[in-house]
Amino acid sequence: MFSCALDKQVKCWDLEQNKVWGLAGLGDICRVWDIRSKVQIHCLSGHEDTVSAILGQPTDPQVITASHDKTIRLWDLRTGKTLSTLTYHKKAVRGLTAHPTEHTFASGGADNIKKFKLPRGEFLHNTLQQQRAIINCLAVNEDGVLVSGADNGSIWFWDWKSGNAFQQQETVAQPGSLESEQGIYAMAFDKTGSRLVTCEADKTVKMWKEDFTATPESHPVNFKPPKDIRRF
Amino acid sequence: MSLLASLPAPVKTYTAPDAPAPTGPSGEETRRPVKEVPPYGRRQGFVPRRVDDYGGGGAFPEIHVAQYPLEMGRPNQRPGGAGRTDQTVALSVNAEGEVNYDAVVRQGKDAQKWVATTHAALVPKLEQLNSDMPRPDEEEVEAAAKETAAALQAVVSRKQAAVNPKTLPSQPGAPQYIKYTPAQSGGAHNSGAATRIIKMQDMPVDPMEPPKFRHIKVPRGPGSPPVPVMHSPPRALTVQDQADWKIPPCISNWKNSKGYTIPLDKRLAADGRGLQEVQINDQFAKFTEALYIAEQKARASRGPGRSAAAAPSSPESEAERELPAAHRVRDGPAAEGETRAEREERRQRDEIREERRRERERERRLEARDAHGHKRSKLTRDRDRDISEKIALGQAKVSGGEAMYDQRLFNQDTGVGSGLASEDAYNLYDKPLFADRSEVFRSRGRQDEEVHGAGAGGDDAAGERRFKPDKGFSGVDYGAARDAAAGPVQFEADAAQADVFGLDAFLTDVRGGKRREGPLGDAPRGGSMAAAGGGGGGGGGGDGGRRMDFVGASGSKQR
Repeated sequence: MFSCALDKQVKCWDLEQNKVWGLAGLGDICRVWDIRSKVQIHCLSGHEDTVSAILGQPTDPQVITASHDKTIRLWDLRTGKTLSTLTYHKKAVRGLTAHPTEHTFASGGADNIKKFKLPRGEFLHNTLQQQRAIINCLAVNEDGVLVSGADNGSIWFWDWKSGNAFQQQETVAQPGSLESEQGIYAMAFDKTGSRLVTCEADKTVKMWKEDFTATPESHPVNFKPPKDIRRF
Repeated sequence: MSLLASLPAPVKTYTAPDAPAPTGPSGEETRRPVKEVPPYGRRQGFVPRRVDDYGGGGAFPEIHVAQYPLEMGRPNQRPGGAGRTDQTVALSVNAEGEVNYDAVVRQGKDAQKWVATTHAALVPKLEQLNSDMPRPDEEEVEAAAKETAAALQAVVSRKQAAVNPKTLPSQPGAPQYIKYTPAQSGGAHNSGAATRIIKMQDMPVDPMEPPKFRHIKVPRGPGSPPVPVMHSPPRALTVQDQADWKIPPCISNWKNSKGYTIPLDKRLAADGRGLQEVQINDQFAKFTEALYIAEQKARASRGPGRSAAAAPSSPESEAERELPAAHRVRDGPAAEGETRAEREERRQRDEIREERRRERERERRLEARDAHGHKRSKLTRDRDRDISEKIALGQAKVSGGEAMYDQRLFNQDTGVGSGLASEDAYNLYDKPLFADRSEVFRSRGRQDEEVHGAGAGGDDAAGERRFKPDKGFSGVDYGAARDAAAGPVQFEADAAQADVFGLDAFLTDVRGGKRREGPLGDAPRGGSMAAAGGGGGGGGGGDGGRRMDFVGASGSKQR
């Protein structure tokens, strides 16, 4: 496991496989290092603002970065050059997540969550609703559940395929916290996809699981496929 | 053709750009005929315009026309040329017949390999949702991994080799010998030899030399061509949005660095006074309820009769009874039966009393001020107190303005020789802890013995003999003084003075010699005397009976 912090250090915690990895920094540069020799291989520069999220893929594009300059860049790891720049977002892109089985990825920002097709980064569609909050992080499940966490503590659950939000949830700040301290900064599904772990602004890490007592009668999902999907 | 003939002749003639020579499948059989260049001296009117006109040679200096043999140096050349005067991209058309507006973005072979430039890229594609978009399979992944690993490894090894001392070439390098065959051979070149051998050697490097070149930061290159923005321009802010995000300037309760004058209502606005509701806990209400209930119960348990007696007979009489009490409270102690004149007098007296009290207080304050020039505050009131005791005990906080010396510095017994003892001499305590007071009341004997030394008898330098009397006093025991007693002076109790009033003797007589209680009960008889004023010793012998002695201390205690 690799971790990087504001003390400008990258620490490797368990060196089982020597892999190359990229690091997104608060600066606008992404660096690619060889872990064994600690040599910097590539400096992926090109973004004009903070790089907020990074994804690694097994095939081209092997690195996908999202930045506060509203762009997503797809990189070629062999040469360290940008393959493509996606300028679909209107606001800073803060979260990226790749679907485990499909060759697609989703990006989220304050304006929208958009789905893209790999390997060329073709735009597929927006989600059907807008969360209207500053989305900080995204995570997706093998079951096709996309979760987005926002700065105001709202967690929205989306269906990956259709882009419909079927559940809206608000986190509860832990006792002793202010109401304004509801916010989610990072989230991830575990390997099984059954538990969602969120890192929040009230200094808690929360784990969420599926509510098995919910039935279509108790929690109805009203989904009508729209005639025209939103284009902006 | 007839139509063409009927049209008027064109005014301007255009020259088509040079088309590349068609490379035929035949190689050397069909060769283009080499144009013959006119020899020197016969070139009047000759202007070379095409590559063929040069005949494989160079430009003709005597022809004053811009010439570009082999198309070298032409300013309008594509990348690599020295001067690009126009930066235009040729307009091209794609297969559907639409103009390629994204030719600008797609310049350069690998700049922006995959660019989204058309409106079709913006449109949401819902039909693709149901199509299967599988991830690349294992083979592709492995192939990609191998290629990537190889590429990255090459970079890493290159970087490491630059640093690795073993791979670096030694300075200066060994000489290299190169065999060179020049293109022009002949008797004139190279003194007839066909080949030359050239020795290449590195210049020896002076290790102590400072670096020759400055590292200058090179400005960044132009970067990749701009990417089309695939979203509509951001919507204008609505008034509601602007109002939502409006943040009032911070007015601090503590700091005002620019010194702004801020009206009071603005100062209080952000205080949060009106924003918080005072929340009263529910349990207050519960508490009062519980108290009320308990009181009721207590009243009930006390019995009905008592409460009936306590209650007034009628509500009117209660009101009547309350009235004079209210008047009393309002008018002071003597409200009943007092005339107005008396009340006036009383008021005047009270005023006079108040005045006098105020005057006394003022005088007290002025006194305090006069005594010290100012009114003593808490900090200054202790200034004039004598704290010599505290200093002696080491408890005083002495704040000295002028130079103050520690009194322990003066009159010290040790003197200069205090530092001359050996290192391990334990001389921290040179004096015993307690002063030996046993010497205080030692009988001194005669003064002149002390003054002139112990051997006064022999030493008579000043002739003191004549001042000593011939005859001493009678009754004085001079021997006792000479043998100076070891301890303090001992006083002897006068046995004759033990029973002054003869009470003991009286009592023993009365009871017939039996030893009985005296009037003092069980008090011990014969009080001991520590000192009898005027009793011990001779004193005058005149007063026989009138002698006052004190009763023993123990006797008085019993009472």
